[in-house]
Amino acid sequence: MAGSTKSLLSRSLTWAFVGLISCALPGLGLAQYGTGQPVGIEEPETEDGPAPVRDLSGVWMRIRPPEGGFYSNATWTEEGPELTPAGQALFGRARNSNAGGFSLAETNDPVLTRCYPPGVPRVYFHPYPFEVVYTEREMIMLYEYDHIIRRIYIDGRDHPEDPVPLWLGHSTGRWQNDTTFIVDTVAVDERTWLDRAGYPHSGELRVTEVFRRIDNRNLLLDITMEDPEILAEPWVAETLHFRLAPPHWELSEISCSGDYLDFSTFEDFLEN
Amino acid sequence: MKAKISTLGAAMLVCVVCGTAAQAHHGRASYTDQRITLQATVTEFRFVNPHVQIYFDITNDAGQVEHWQGELTAPNKLARGGWTKSTFKPGDRIQISGRAARNDGRSVAIDEILTDDGDSLPLWEILD
Repeated sequence: MAGSTKSLLSRSLTWAFVGLISCALPGLGLAQYGTGQPVGIEEPETEDGPAPVRDLSGVWMRIRPPEGGFYSNATWTEEGPELTPAGQALFGRARNSNAGGFSLAETNDPVLTRCYPPGVPRVYFHPYPFEVVYTEREMIMLYEYDHIIRRIYIDGRDHPEDPVPLWLGHSTGRWQNDTTFIVDTVAVDERTWLDRAGYPHSGELRVTEVFRRIDNRNLLLDITMEDPEILAEPWVAETLHFRLAPPHWELSEISCSGDYLDFSTFEDFLEN
Repeated sequence: MKAKISTLGAAMLVCVVCGTAAQAHHGRASYTDQRITLQATVTEFRFVNPHVQIYFDITNDAGQVEHWQGELTAPNKLARGGWTKSTFKPGDRIQISGRAARNDGRSVAIDEILTDDGDSLPLWEILD
C-alpha cells in the first residue's frame, strides 16, 4: 500500500465503516476495500447474466454451495477414497493437522511444517482467491496463496513424454464447449498431499478438472483424481463453487516463508 | 533455505520440550472452546501475515492492567472486508470476544469486535 494514501484512508475510515456495515453493497462505488484504491477507472460492478464465451478471466473465490450440500476445507468427499494396499500404508504415515486444530509437534503436513507448495488439487483448500489471465498459449492461474502460479497450456500441446515432476504438475487444457473447460494435469511432485487429511499420491497421479461457468458470476469445478498405485478407483470430488469477486478486490500476498515462522511475541501471551 | 530449515528444526525441538506453549505455526489447538468477552484498550495493531494481531490491555477483576493479544485472519482477507493497517490505533476502545487460549494464556482467537459505537466489524472478506 502506498504510504501517500495513508492519511486519506484514515480520514475516510470512520464513515467508510458506517457505510460498510449499513449496506456493504457494491453500489457504494468507492473501493474502500481491496488492498489499494483504483485511480481514475470507473469499473463496472460484477454483473449477473450469462457466462461470457470461452473465458474464465477474473478473480474467483470459493464459496459454500448456495443450495447446500457437502462442503469441506480439508477433503474432497464425505467418505474418502478407496486406497490400494500401498496407498493405505502411505496414508498411515500421514499425521494431518486436524484441519487446523493441531500443534506443530503433532503434524507432518508438508505445507504447514515445511512450507511446501500444496500441489494439485490441494491448492484449492487454501482459503484464498485465484485470478485467471490469458496469454496466447496459456491460461495462467495466479493463486494468492504463496505466489503460486499454474500454467495451463491451451495451445494444443501434449504433456512431455517423460515430464519432470513439478510442485503443481504439468497442465494442459481445452474448451469442451463455450462454457466448459477441461484441464489435465500430470507429474505432480509426490511430496504433496491430495488434501489436508493426508491422502498421498504417486508419480502416476492424473488430475482432471472440469470447469463449468454456469453464469457470469458462478463457476463450478469438478475434480477427479486417478492414481493406480494409490487409489483403488478414481476419487471424484464433490463439486466446488467459486464466485466472481467484485472488481475492487485485489490479490495481495500471503507467504509461508518467514511470515509463518515467527510467532515469538504470540508465545509470550501463551505463556502468560 | 538451509538456515530456515535449521531454525524450524530448532523451533520444533523447543515445541517438543515445551508442549503447546511455543509453536512456529500455531493452530486452533492453542485455543479452548471457552468464549470470553473483554473490554479492550488497543496498545498495538499489526496488520501482518499470516494473522492480523491486536495487542490490548484490559483491567481485570482485581483492578490490575493485563496485557493481552488477539488473533484475526490474514490481512488480505480483512482488507477485502474494509480493513487497513490504520484500522486501529493505540488508545482505541473496543469490545473483543472470542475463544480463550489454553493454560490461561492471555490470548484470544477473535470472533467478534464491537467498536465503541456498537458497530460489529466484518472479520472476513466481503464478496457481495
